[in-house]
Amino acid sequence: TKRRADGTLIRPKSYIWGKLNIQSFVDALTKQGITDIKVESTGEDGSIIHLSNDDTLIQVESDSTHIICEGEEAVRTKLRDTLLKCLHKL
Amino acid sequence: LVMKGSKLQLIDAADALQDFGLAEHQLRFTSTLAFDEEGPTTETADKIYQLVKSQLKDFPTHYSSDGSITISDSVLVQVSGDEESKSVLVSWSYQDEDVGSYLLQLLKSELVT
Repeated sequence: TKRRADGTLIRPKSYIWGKLNIQSFVDALTKQGITDIKVESTGEDGSIIHLSNDDTLIQVESDSTHIICEGEEAVRTKLRDTLLKCLHKL
Repeated sequence: LVMKGSKLQLIDAADALQDFGLAEHQLRFTSTLAFDEEGPTTETADKIYQLVKSQLKDFPTHYSSDGSITISDSVLVQVSGDEESKSVLVSWSYQDEDVGSYLLQLLKSELVT
């Protein structure tokens, strides 16, 4: 393990790339048992996905996704893993 | 490891993505904890900072004058509220998923009763 001069860790960075296909993501969420999914378009490449039952908002842009989850940690990890399956990792 | 012409080259992952014209996708998480705690928000922020310093020793931590705390590269903690109730926002990028999720659970068990 590499460390900085102050003793803190230097960690290898992992990269995620690609553009999220909203429909594929919504289909994948439905398969994971997530219900009450509402998609709102916010411009050319942007969308907000509302998951009312799970107290969550997902803001999607062409090169970023922000998962704002006020629900259970299990919900957040499920959303994370489902999203990662719809993108590419390096 | 990429092939350039007939040569194999070891290049940085960020450079490789750029070379292939692939845009990095930023993934960020934000969760907020709400709980009742009497006293000023700065007191709650101080308590969280001390907890972070003792539990996440391996990661660089910075306490700003506005009361927000940053840990590692991307983890942000912000306390807001009034004399009686507080909310703590915890936000992190996927790069710091292990630190962010650990911190959220830690704060949940320490602050929310």
